[in-house]
Amino acid sequence: MSGFTAFFKKEIVEYLRSYKALILLCVFIIFGMMSPLLAKMMPDILSHQAINGITLNIPKPTFYDSFGQFFKNLSQMGMAVLLLIFGGVLSQDLSKGTLIMLLAKGLSRHAVILAKFAAALILWTASYAFAVMIQWGYTLYLFDKLPVPHLFFSLFCLWLFGIFILTILLMSSTLVGGAYSGLFLTTAALGALIVCQFIPGTDRFSPLALASDNAGLMTGAANLHHAVTAVWITVILIVSALAVSLVVFKKKSI
Amino acid sequence: MDILRAEHIRKNFGSQHVLTDLNFSVSKHSIFGLIGKNGSGKTTTMKMILGLIKPTSGSIYVCGEKVAYGDTPTNRHIGYLPDVPEFYGYMTAREYLKLCGEITGVRRSEIHKRTDELLCLVGLNGVNRKIHSYSRGMKQRLGIAQALLNEPELLICDEVTSALDPVGRKEILDLLSAAGKRATVIFSTHILSDVERICDQIGVLNNGQLELQGPLNEIKQDYRQEALQIETLTPDQAPVLAAHLKALPFISKAEVSGRTVNVQLNHYEENSLDIIRLLASESIPILKYERLEPTLENVFMDVIR
Repeated sequence: MSGFTAFFKKEIVEYLRSYKALILLCVFIIFGMMSPLLAKMMPDILSHQAINGITLNIPKPTFYDSFGQFFKNLSQMGMAVLLLIFGGVLSQDLSKGTLIMLLAKGLSRHAVILAKFAAALILWTASYAFAVMIQWGYTLYLFDKLPVPHLFFSLFCLWLFGIFILTILLMSSTLVGGAYSGLFLTTAALGALIVCQFIPGTDRFSPLALASDNAGLMTGAANLHHAVTAVWITVILIVSALAVSLVVFKKKSI
Repeated sequence: MDILRAEHIRKNFGSQHVLTDLNFSVSKHSIFGLIGKNGSGKTTTMKMILGLIKPTSGSIYVCGEKVAYGDTPTNRHIGYLPDVPEFYGYMTAREYLKLCGEITGVRRSEIHKRTDELLCLVGLNGVNRKIHSYSRGMKQRLGIAQALLNEPELLICDEVTSALDPVGRKEILDLLSAAGKRATVIFSTHILSDVERICDQIGVLNNGQLELQGPLNEIKQDYRQEALQIETLTPDQAPVLAAHLKALPFISKAEVSGRTVNVQLNHYEENSLDIIRLLASESIPILKYERLEPTLENVFMDVIR
């Protein structure tokens, strides 16, 4: 797999110099800081709002609420940011033609896919880890610590869902042409998954469960067994999407 | 010995037949000009040599090894420069050449040395700006540097002068001419004067195949038209001269244009003295008498007609 290390280094430099790494890191750090603060302040904000003369009495927020807010922010806005940052992961190289001279130099096509995946994975993992650490610190500072069941598993599920999005983006970019076609195809695929969730019984197997059941897993509202099934299905989908990317890109006319 | 051989290449894009039966070979240490109209399949041919596009059928051999579609090991023999090279704009020329060297597997110490040499060769040695601020000519020169980095046996240049101004074109042609001393060069273009300037071998791509191939000088001789151009002192003498010339049995055509008579004849060497005698006997004063040399343009137009 000629050229993996060199191309991987180039990817990392590109994320740094294009400020994508900085933007992703900042956004996720903000999420990590904002979630516990919002959870702490939300009852105060709502209790001062009198709706039709009715004053809302919100119970005192807890450790759970802080992580509940964190999962809500990251599974929605966080994933949207992830899509935007990595939207042109391979499509941009193909549409601009920057890969042609490197491929003609003997850069392996498998190395291109795996280096792009590895760089995106590292960036996503680092940003997510920062967000979790800051979230953890602020939550401990603002709330009393409670035993939270399956917290690490919930965090793992959301991380895995991020990887799922990255591989679908990569696969989409190999399947269709155009600078942002990969992003559009991935958005369409996620839309299709949302629609499929309306079919009774399918929601428990869908990768979307990894980004929607996190808070439920902590409170016991979501079924752990179903979440584990969704994790395995997502792992299989991630490996399959990577395999498809490798095979399709190897046969692609450039 | 042939460094490149293409055998019975066909390439269809859907219902469009770009190449129907392409056969050609390029011998070592030549500068081969692949010429053809826009859309004749020059870029497609180049990309198939690099394994970037799969031929519908047929085989290509580089240094005796068959080109495999996708990742082809034959690319280690090749340096490639496209018409508009695209770089990572956030890098400097030195960083880009380092990336290329690492991909090619050149040793670290060697990369540094080669980078210095090549940046000097292409006149970018003092430029430390990011590539996004480069002019088109500078990018093309950097393209040549990256193509030569792995000291290729075969340098493939695809319409590299098409988008350049005359100064940029001259610089690139000079660099290619110099590169031709170290490597075999395949140079595709539709600018015939560029081919005449640096190539010693040519191939004319037309109707999906190579309709003409060989040494440029020999081809020009083969396509030599026995033609003369005679310019009279005054315009009224030209029709008189044309009428006298037409009376000679070996003259096939004598056309007047202003005070110039364009003449086509058979067996110039045997009959040239008769023309001189005619000019003397009729006392027609002339300003210019020139035997026309064949041009690549004549050859090209003849082939694609």
